[in-house]
Parts: sequence; C-alpha cells; structure tokens
Amino acid sequence: MTALTLEYTDLNRALDEVRPLLEEWAAEHDEAAAPSDDTVRYTQLVLHEWIANLLQHAHFKSRAPTVQIRASTENRHITCAVIDNSEGFDLAEQLSPDDDADDFPERGMGLQIIDACTNQLSYTSTASGRHRLEFTIPADQDPCLSMLF
Amino acid sequence: MSFDVETRSSETVVVRMGEALDFRNADDFKEAFQEHVEDGVRNFILDFSETEVLDSTGLGSIFSLYREISPDDGKVAFAEVSRPVQVVVQLTRTYKVFRQFPTVEEAEEALA
Repeated sequence: MTALTLEYTDLNRALDEVRPLLEEWAAEHDEAAAPSDDTVRYTQLVLHEWIANLLQHAHFKSRAPTVQIRASTENRHITCAVIDNSEGFDLAEQLSPDDDADDFPERGMGLQIIDACTNQLSYTSTASGRHRLEFTIPADQDPCLSMLF
Repeated sequence: MSFDVETRSSETVVVRMGEALDFRNADDFKEAFQEHVEDGVRNFILDFSETEVLDSTGLGSIFSLYREISPDDGKVAFAEVSRPVQVVVQLTRTYKVFRQFPTVEEAEEALA
C-alpha cells in the first residue's frame, strides 16, 4: 500500500485537510490490513496537536512555514513523520514532568497528549537543517494521560 | 465562529459545540459561556453530537468554564458525545469530572 505524503505552506489549511485525508487514505486499505478507526483517530489527534503547536509556538524566522507529513501503515499500526522548517525545540525538555502543573490546565496539554498516544516519539534535526517529528501509533493503542486526574 | 446557546431554564443552557472546539475558536467559546455565567447560569450541557475535533486548548477552555462555575455548585455535562470527542475524554480521563449522557434531554433531567 502506498504511503501518504502531504505538503503545506499554509498550516491552517493543513489542520483542516489532514484529518479527512488521513481517514480517506486509511479506508483505502484492505479490511484485514487497515488500521482500526481508533488508531486513525489517535493519529489525527496527534497530527492536529503537533500542527497546532507549530502554528502557535514555532519560530520560522523570516521563512514561510512549510510542513511535510508522511504516513505509512503496517500490521495495522501507523507510522508518521512530520518535517518542518522551524527553528525546532527540545521536545524531551518540554515533556519533563512539571510538579506545579494545574489540576485543570488551560494550556500545555498538547505535548502530553502526543506523548501518551505515541510510541517511539522523537523530534530531531535533519541533515538539511529541518526538524523531523517521528512517531508510531500502535494497533489497539489504549493511551491514558496520567497528568490530570 | 459563534456557538449556539439555547436557554432551557434560568440556571441551565445547552451549548451546541459544532464541528470543532480547538485553539482557533476556544476564545469564542469562553466569550459565549462568560455572558451566561454572568447572568447566573450554573449548569452547562455541551452537545457534542456534531463534533469532529476537540483538542487540548478546546478542552482547556472547558476546564476554564468548570473552574468558574464549580465554586457555586455549577455543573458541566457532556451529551451525545461523538467518537472523536470520546477518544479525548478517555485519554484525559475527564469523564471523572464531566458526567456524560446519551442525550441532551437526559442530561437536563439529571441536572434539574
């Protein structure tokens, strides 16, 4: 089955289009090999949170933002890469536990949600000076965010 | 985007959440509920039947509502929760804070 590759220079448009396109792509697979509906939903949620994070917080200097999204599936799990041309940041540091976290936080849950939904999560520099988020959503993922309740 | 808010009684309103509650319209949602909180509304039934997207900032704005009304024994209830919203509710365990009901009417009855 072919991988899905999408590229955007308008991150708001990416937010609106990635969700339905991912759903259509997943539905093209044979039933036996297709990721479950919930695996697709977790992938949609992670991509939404990540693109929203880029839109709100990433520094692109004077460059026009670009983002490339690649998704593939094997044995019903989904693997994704999101390559952006921002300045990047230290994901591990942002994910470190915050002892002062609010019980009902208004902000800052996005990266925790991404972390809870994914396996093999990384955000690294590429040889071409871009940054690359990679993650896998396992089949039958049952994530749970422990930071709230 | 504006939110459709239906008044059911002096204390209870139903908010139709529409297709998405995310970082792009979370402030609109806050504006919508603020007006009703100031008018004395204490029970908010959020109708998620058409909602495809609920993100962390959207959920944060619901926490904001909860923080405002809970000191006065106010309640936030979720009704007709769509599967994409249910995924976020399960993930964040917010079902421990916000009761869920199959229909708006059942939520209204429980909060009465």
